[in-house]
Amino acid sequence: MALLSVCRNLIPYLVVLTSLFLSSCGSKQVVVQGEFPTPLTEKINQTVGVYYEAEFKSHEIFDEAKSRGQSDWHIKTGEAQIKLWDMIFSGVFSETLTLSERPSRESPAKTVSMVIIPHIEELQYAIPSHTQVKVYEIWMRYRFELVNVLGEPLGDWEMTAYGKTPQNLVMGIEGGQSKEDAINLAAIMALRDAGAHFVTTFRRTEPVSLWLEGLTSQESDSEENTFSQPKSNEVSQ
Amino acid sequence: MNIRILMPLLLSINILGGCVTSRVDEMVFNEPQIGIGEDTAVILGRRHGSDYATEPDFVQCVGSHIMRKDPTITIIPESYFLDNLYPWFEPRTAPLEPENLQRFAQERVLLQKLESLDLAYMIWIDGSTKNTGSDGSLSCSLHGCFGFATWGNEANYEATIWDFTALAEVGKVNTESSGQTYMPSIFIPLPIHAPVKGAACDGIGDQLLEFLSGKF
Repeated sequence: MALLSVCRNLIPYLVVLTSLFLSSCGSKQVVVQGEFPTPLTEKINQTVGVYYEAEFKSHEIFDEAKSRGQSDWHIKTGEAQIKLWDMIFSGVFSETLTLSERPSRESPAKTVSMVIIPHIEELQYAIPSHTQVKVYEIWMRYRFELVNVLGEPLGDWEMTAYGKTPQNLVMGIEGGQSKEDAINLAAIMALRDAGAHFVTTFRRTEPVSLWLEGLTSQESDSEENTFSQPKSNEVSQ
Repeated sequence: MNIRILMPLLLSINILGGCVTSRVDEMVFNEPQIGIGEDTAVILGRRHGSDYATEPDFVQCVGSHIMRKDPTITIIPESYFLDNLYPWFEPRTAPLEPENLQRFAQERVLLQKLESLDLAYMIWIDGSTKNTGSDGSLSCSLHGCFGFATWGNEANYEATIWDFTALAEVGKVNTESSGQTYMPSIFIPLPIHAPVKGAACDGIGDQLLEFLSGKF
């Protein structure tokens, strides 16, 4: 009877110990969540279409544990990617329209001057147990595709982004958060970096600068046509 | 253990605390004689290093220290500044020299925002608090924790002051603090914490206060 009572008292401790053991070696899942600010920059006065492919919208990586002491990592960034890029594109263009399908000759995009299609080519992460450095890191490589309203390519360019969370930032006295929180924070820093990289460089990339040049020459052509209108009127009379 | 014995023991441990050694170096010029007045200042952390980043809580601690000692000074919170001026002060884009601020002249909306903040000084804090090593052993079981552990912490921070209107560096304040935390344990751990980061925050905050305030 006494033994049974001791066993009953031990049950809560055993549950805690078992869950601690499982949480240290089991699978870790992170659905990246965070808020992103609107970029403070001069807007390009154009309506631009944005098309997110299904793979982009539900982007995730799964990394299986290499040894018994490690955990599987499942990092889902899709939702946060959409949140960030919606904010960035609406901050740099006067109007953006999210397209439900990729533009083509059969179904061209309407009322937009071009369409931008972001892709995540690669995502890598590093945690202290991999690197022996007390830093959680996320590195991403993007590719941006620029197409016209018929879906014909105008060009593309690649861009990298990086974010890190030093362990003392999240494991400090006031922190006490988990490894998942640290990865989430590193991902948010990487996404912020991606936005910063895009806003400060995209005008200088070849496809965008050519597109902007095209817009400028179109504007000057239309101005010339406006001035020449009275002349043509005279001719027609 | 009797609570009448345990409570005074815990209180005395808290009062004693761990020992901290702190050193502050200062080099400033063009100090405002009557303080910054109605203008504002912002304190930002440097985060472009590969293996460390200035902790946001340290930056916040320095700002709070200054505003607590002189409530007339307005320090713009770091997170507010970074979000409202995104993406111009991110680790990738933040200017490393005051002359680099000139490139912002091309960004009209950014200039307007900066003007609306009445910013007089931009203070960059670079550094971190690191664990310098640990010793001892502590073992815990269902009956409690027993043993003795100790670890050292070292804080090293440098604040660089930029005059935002003159686009020039006007001073540097450096602080170094170190201390040893002890944790004896008889049934429960009794940490004797060395507030290394707090000492560094107070040290750098006091020096910045002398620069920014007309009262000190």
